[in-house]
This record gives sequence, C-alpha cells and structure tokens, in this order.
Amino acid sequence: MPKIPPVFSRSAALAIALVWVGLTGQVVDARVRPPKLEYKHVTLPNGLNVILHEDHSTPIVHLQLWYHVGSKDEKAGRTGFAHLFEHMMFQGSKNVGREQHNSLIASVGGESNAYTTEDATVFWETLPSNYLPLILWLEADRMATLKLDQESFSRERNVVKEERRQKIENPPYGRLPELVAEHAFMVHPYKHVVMGSMADLEAASIEDVREFHQTYYVPENAVLVLAGDFDTTDAVALVEKYFGRVPKAAKPLKRDIPVEPKQEKERRLTVYENVPLPAVVVAHHITFDGHPDSYPLHIASKVLSDGQSSRIYRKLVYEDQIALAAFGGGNIIENPNLFFATAIVQPGQSPEKVEKALAAELDRLRLEPITEHELERTKNQFARDYILGRQTVQDKASALAHAMVLHQGQLSTADGEFDIFMNTKVSDVQRVARTYFTPDTRLVLTILPKGSAPSGGAAGPGL
Amino acid sequence: MTLRTTAVAAMLAACPFISTPSAFAQAAAEWPSERPPRPQPARRVAFPPYEIKTLPNGLRVVVVQQHEQPVISLRLLVRAGAAADPKGKAGLATLASALLDQGTKTRSASQIADAIDYIGGGLGTGAGTDLSFLNVIVMKDSFEQALTLLSDVARNPAFAPEELDRQRSQILNGLKVSYEDPEYVADAVIDRLVFGFHPYGRPGSGTPDTVASITREDLLTFHQTYFAPNNAILAVVGDTTPEEALAGVTKAFGDWAKKDIPPPTSLQPPDPTRRVIVVDRPDAVQTEIRVGQIAIQRNHPDYLALNVAIKILGGEGGNRLQGVLRSDRGLTYGAAADMNAYKQTGAIVADTDTRTETTIEALRVMVDEFFRLQRDRVVDGELASAQAYLAGNFPLTIETSDAIALQVLNALFYELDLKELETYRERVNGVTPDDIQRVARAYLKPGRLSVVLVGNASAFVKQLKEAGFDEIELVRLADLDLTTVDFRKGAKPAAGG
Repeated sequence: MPKIPPVFSRSAALAIALVWVGLTGQVVDARVRPPKLEYKHVTLPNGLNVILHEDHSTPIVHLQLWYHVGSKDEKAGRTGFAHLFEHMMFQGSKNVGREQHNSLIASVGGESNAYTTEDATVFWETLPSNYLPLILWLEADRMATLKLDQESFSRERNVVKEERRQKIENPPYGRLPELVAEHAFMVHPYKHVVMGSMADLEAASIEDVREFHQTYYVPENAVLVLAGDFDTTDAVALVEKYFGRVPKAAKPLKRDIPVEPKQEKERRLTVYENVPLPAVVVAHHITFDGHPDSYPLHIASKVLSDGQSSRIYRKLVYEDQIALAAFGGGNIIENPNLFFATAIVQPGQSPEKVEKALAAELDRLRLEPITEHELERTKNQFARDYILGRQTVQDKASALAHAMVLHQGQLSTADGEFDIFMNTKVSDVQRVARTYFTPDTRLVLTILPKGSAPSGGAAGPGL
Repeated sequence: MTLRTTAVAAMLAACPFISTPSAFAQAAAEWPSERPPRPQPARRVAFPPYEIKTLPNGLRVVVVQQHEQPVISLRLLVRAGAAADPKGKAGLATLASALLDQGTKTRSASQIADAIDYIGGGLGTGAGTDLSFLNVIVMKDSFEQALTLLSDVARNPAFAPEELDRQRSQILNGLKVSYEDPEYVADAVIDRLVFGFHPYGRPGSGTPDTVASITREDLLTFHQTYFAPNNAILAVVGDTTPEEALAGVTKAFGDWAKKDIPPPTSLQPPDPTRRVIVVDRPDAVQTEIRVGQIAIQRNHPDYLALNVAIKILGGEGGNRLQGVLRSDRGLTYGAAADMNAYKQTGAIVADTDTRTETTIEALRVMVDEFFRLQRDRVVDGELASAQAYLAGNFPLTIETSDAIALQVLNALFYELDLKELETYRERVNGVTPDDIQRVARAYLKPGRLSVVLVGNASAFVKQLKEAGFDEIELVRLADLDLTTVDFRKGAKPAAGG
C-alpha cells in the first residue's frame, strides 16, 4: 500500500510558503492586526516539547497537552479507538483514582476536558493559577502510569457507544459526515469518522489500550502548552520536576498511514436515511494544512460561506431560496482531506437543482477570479478570526499547540500565517480552484428521506 | 476531592489490575507514590471595574474596557422576548428578531450584510424568553460604523413583506427539521409540561400554525411596543474608553425617543403536576429523557441556595446524576440537571439520553435522585465540593471583557443588587447544609415530577407501567402539537397557546 511521504516534505512546503512571504517583502495593509503571540519553547531530555506563554491579565492558567495521535492512526478493525482511549485517560493512574482527575480539578474551581480529532488527542485544564503544580502532576501521572482494568474499560466503552448513538445515530443528519468520509476515501483512514463503528468499538480489548498507551502516549509524541498567569522560569522548573521523570519511549514511533490514491473520475451516489428533508454534498479532494495551496483554499471557504454576503448563502438560501441551509468550506487538516459544498434542500425543490447550484459555485471559483472587494472582505474576516481567536488563554494555547503539532514544529506559523493570508491574491484563489475543483473528480452524494426510496424504502447502494 | 472516593477505592480493590509484564509496569513501579502537590499562594482577584451610565432617554449603558486585542463588542438587550408573544402568535419575538437585520428604512438586507461582512464584523440577533438581543462585534477602527448600524437595525427595521415571507419560510422549514430532532422535541415538551399554559411554556420559535398566522402588523406592533431606550440596556465592551464609548452611544442612540412600556402580564405559574408524556419515534436507537418541575424566579431570595442544591444533583462540582448514570452504570454519555430561572418563575430540568433498553433504569435513577435530594441531608463534603467549585471558578468567569459584561447585564436585567457581583464567593460559601435541606423541602416535588420520553415507545411502555408510571400519555411524533392540552393535533388549542 502506498505510504505517506516523509513528514519533512510537509514542513518544507510550509517553510517555502513562509519564505515566499519574506522574499516578496510585501507591505501588509494597515488594517488592525493582532499583537504578536510571545512564547518560550523548551524540549526536555525525554523528548517532551513544552511551550509557555505568559499572560497575567487574569489569575488563571490553562494547560493543553496534545498527543499526536488521532483516528487516522488507528489500525484496521479498531476504528474509534483513539477516542475510546481518550476516555480511558480519566480512569485513574498510579496516584489518581478513577475519575478523580476531574473531581480534583473541579474541587479548586477548575474546568477540564478532552477531545479527539482525526490527527490529535487533546487534554486540557483551566484553573486558578496557583494550582499549576496540581495539573502538571495530574497530567504527568497519567502519561507515565495509566491504570487499566477490564471493568472500567467495559463501562467506558458503553459510555462511548452512547456518545455515538447521541451524536451520530439518533439526530437527523447525524450520519452525514460518516457517509461522506466512507465514500470519499478508498484507503486513507480518513475513510472513517473519529467516533468509529459500533462493531470496532465492541472488538477493542484492554490489550489494545495498553499497546496504544505505550506507542503513542510517550513524551516524544506529546506537546505541552501552558498559557496564563505564571513566571516562565518557575513554570519550566515545575514542568521539569513533574514531566522530567516520565521515561523516554522504549522504541521510536513509526507511522504507517496509507496514501489515498488520486480520484480519477466522478463518483455519484444516492443513499436513503432517516432525514426530514433531502441533503446534497458536492466534494473534492484537496491538500493538507500548511501547504501553500491551503491558504487560498481558506479564502475560498470564506468567499463561499462567511457571512450573509457570502456567495452560497446569498445565492442558494437568500436569492433562489432553494436551500434551507447551505455551506461550503475546506476540512484542511494534517493529511489531504476534502473541500465540500453542502445544502439541505427546501421542500418543493429538487436535489438535482441544488446540486447544480452548489457545483456552479465551485465552478465559478475556477472559471473567473473573485473580486478584489471579496478578497478584501475575506482578509478583514481573517483578521477578525485571528483576533477573536486569541482572547482567552485557551485560545492562545490552542494556536501555539496547533502550530507545533500540525505544522511539524514550526511554531512561528502561529503568527506567520497572518501575513500569508494578507498577501494572498485573487489569482491564487483561482489557481487552487483550478487545481482541485475539477468537475471530473467530484464526489456527489445525495441523501434522501427513507420514505422516498424508489422500491419500498430499500437502502441505497453503499449501505 | 471526589465525591465517591470510598466507593471507587472499594471497587478498585475488588478488581485487581491486569498484570503488565513490560516496561510499562516497570515505569509504574518506579514512579513515586505521592499525594497531589500543594497549591502556590493564591493570587488576589476582584470583580473588574466597569461603568454604568443612563442616558436622558433612559438607555442604560455598561462599559467594560479591555486593551489587549483591538476589538469592540456591542450588546443591546431589549426587555421583551418570547414570553411577550400574544396568544396564538407564539414565535413572534423570534421572527421579529430574525428580521431586524433583514432591512431597515434606508438599508436593504443585502446592504446590511455587505457592510458588516466587509469590515470583518459580525452581527447577530435573537430572542430569548424575556428578552430580545442584538450583538455586533467589530475591529476597533470600525466602532463608529458598528454603532450606526446597530442603532439603525434596532430602531428602524422595515419588516418588508418579501423578507417576512423569506424568514417565515426559513423558520417553518427549520421546524420540520427540529420536529425530527429528539432533543428539540424533548426540550419543548418538558417546557410545556412544567410551565403549562404560562407564556414560558410556549415554544420560542413557535409552531407551524402560530408562525403561519403572524402578520406584518403583529411585527410592527411588537417592535413599536417594546423597542425603546428606557426598555433596553446596551453594553460596550473592549478596546475603548468610557468617554469614547459614551460619546459614540449618545451620538447613535441619544435621539431615540422614550416610550411608555406596558407592564408585563404577570401570570401565576401552574402547580406541579405529575404527567408522563411518551413521544413515539419507532426508529430511535436512544431515548431522550427529561424530568422536571416548576421552581423559582431569578431574583428570588432562595435562588442561590436552590441553585447550589441543583448543582449537587446535576451540575459542575457535584452532579450525582452523572455519577450514578455514567460513572457507575455506563448508561449514558451525559446527564445533568439545571435550574433555568427567568423573570417570573423558573424550572428545574434533569436530562439524559440512553439506549432504548435502559430507558426505564435511567428514568428510575433520575426520579430517585430527586427524592434523595429532598429526603437526605447533604453530607458536608458534598456541599463543600460544590461550593469549592463555584467559588473557585470565579476567576475563570471574568477572563474576557465580554464575560464580565454579561454578568453586569444579567444583574441589571434581573434587577439584582450589583454588589452581588463582588460578593459572589462569600455568598456561595455561606450556604449551609441546613439551607440546602430547607430549600429542597420547600421547592422539590419529587412525587409530582413531569416526565418526557422521546424514543421507541413499544420497547419500554410496558416496563414503564410496571415501574409505577401508570398514567402514560402516548403521542406519535407525527401527531405532536405543542399548543394543545393533550399534545395531539386536532384537539382544541388551550387558552394562551
């Protein structure tokens, strides 16, 4: 099976993007811009990367611990495991009882949670800043000494199954992302959603949990970010005290993620689901987060769907009133994923007409340049997103962690991307639209209400 | 510390860990056994400064400064929401708010969208139970534009017929989707059950019939009646000064004329009634469960103590429901209880969802927890834990200037003593086990709880009867009507619906 190219090609692409901005030396518009995000980066001898950002405006501290493992690292037959494992991290470690992690934090007024994506698993806490030693101690304890027992594993697996029912199986349109992923990918593990399948959750064993912890929950594969009210020197000393004793991994981490072959022709299918109104998805394979093309693709997302003046909202929802809701945008993540346009069809309108309208918006990006006015608007919207995305210590830590983990250690991208966006031109947007939005490599998925199935409500192909 | 330390320790002792013959076990063996580290000295924290001024026309203005990021947000609250919808016109406040930014006397809907999007701003409108709101967020250099736009959409909405048709159709078709969403249905039915035909029991977005009946005249009347400076509060938050903010607000809103506002029609909330409504959704894989009862209004003197009691039942820092339903039994992804307290009254609602087969087990646990909270005195540690969370969480609630402004707006809106913002931690820590027992006895009605189950009825109705819930009202999802006495279409709409 084809393998993902060495990671440095990704970071090389990103470096080129940054250098290109430097070389062209364009003066960024005099628009309001966010203050620079200051940080210190240290690496412990066991390989743990630590990033610290001091912010004394409120006496709180936020910790974010990213493990570079997500659903795309799952092996065959174990979909949903990275997320199930995230739950196991709350089941106790050598010095911490089952679910005591959260109760210790709550008992000092703190908040804590975790989430899993396709690419990473993230644990976080925010609490009054004088409890910094407590959260470092808690996170180090479960990194080094997670406890495993069959009973809590079985119970937590039931909790995750309920989560799957609640988020995917029971609500209308809950299966939409799953259907898109399943039909868009042939071999890449983005073929399954983070939640995984019921059958695979059932098949997972406690042995899998142990192996996963030993493989991925090691200092070299983690990035610790602290943001808030502390003195950096003191905080580094505390980090060394609690995380310095976590042993180095026994063996280097090898990733084995198959590369999705190029989609050569259009794929179309219709499925019948329990939905009140039809839905249509038009999707294209695109590139990864940090690739020079990813920035104009972000601009394209905004042209299509940021605000009521954006193209898809105005055309499909406001003017033509053929869609109840409609949206277009890129899922720009660590490995190449999808750019999609999707809509819920208004009663009385045909899904075919909505599909044509969505495709027409993607075609228009390819066939003609966006206007300078639109470009200026999206840049202003980016400036807003950057600024609003740095209001809390959690926001700031997320920006730094994202750059470190998903941009291959290139921390400078946390601020550097701002200039890349500001220097993007209308021709860049058209260029990426031509590269990726080719009509003969489209995926078109139509979801129809079950009752409307052509022969007695039978499920459509692919289900 | 955890509330269930003893139970957890016992369980772990009874269930030895699987042996781990590896470097993993070795690492764990070498890892020190130790207690959590002590905290560093606590930093001082106080409620941050803010300014309140009232313009001559009665508009109250709150200013909170923040100079780290070059951004300003504006929040305008108007004291009229869904509870002010006239009889038979449920959804009026929601539709009116949806139309505020869809055209004014001088700007079309598209012009408004173009203007706010081009400056990289955001404009949002909506209606809650007792209020309508407009929020604008802009970069510092667009402050004046933001004020002008906000003033125009709040004061001069056109309610143009074509925009009304468009928004009405959006809401009606949105309701089609909502009626297939078990969470929406469960929430709407429990509100109706708990509040009965008090205005708080009506669905805020209306029903297909009531939304269809709303006219342009209704919208104009609603706006003319309630949108006035002396019935509104405006917060200016962010990278500005009180002088600059007040000068800007005066310029944009100073000529907004005062009005006489009709007093809200105050209705007695209904007595708690034990009713069990099962909404049948045969293809459901999970049952949405709601258990609720009437409670007290936001400015009631017992609000704080009762709210702490409900946190113990199902909130942060406590949450017996999550402990029993998720941590002990693995029945659900999440369980919680909340007190939603409004101007005139409030509700306590516990919610969870569980697979169809465990519907009755989960429901019984929830009802039992209401009984237990009233019957058994809370142990000191459990109350202390909830208090420690609420008091300790205070610095997290004042991190952003918007969060600070929301607390001030909330206090002004519910006519609370502003000093309460500063004394929050002391008041929380002052609640005693006696207070909890007193309010639990006074307000909890575990024998008269309203229950809503949205799920595959045939799989659990028989068990429901065996569990003692004998008077069950079964409604097919397709027949659901939130305005009738028996929740079924075709029945006579009740007064106030």
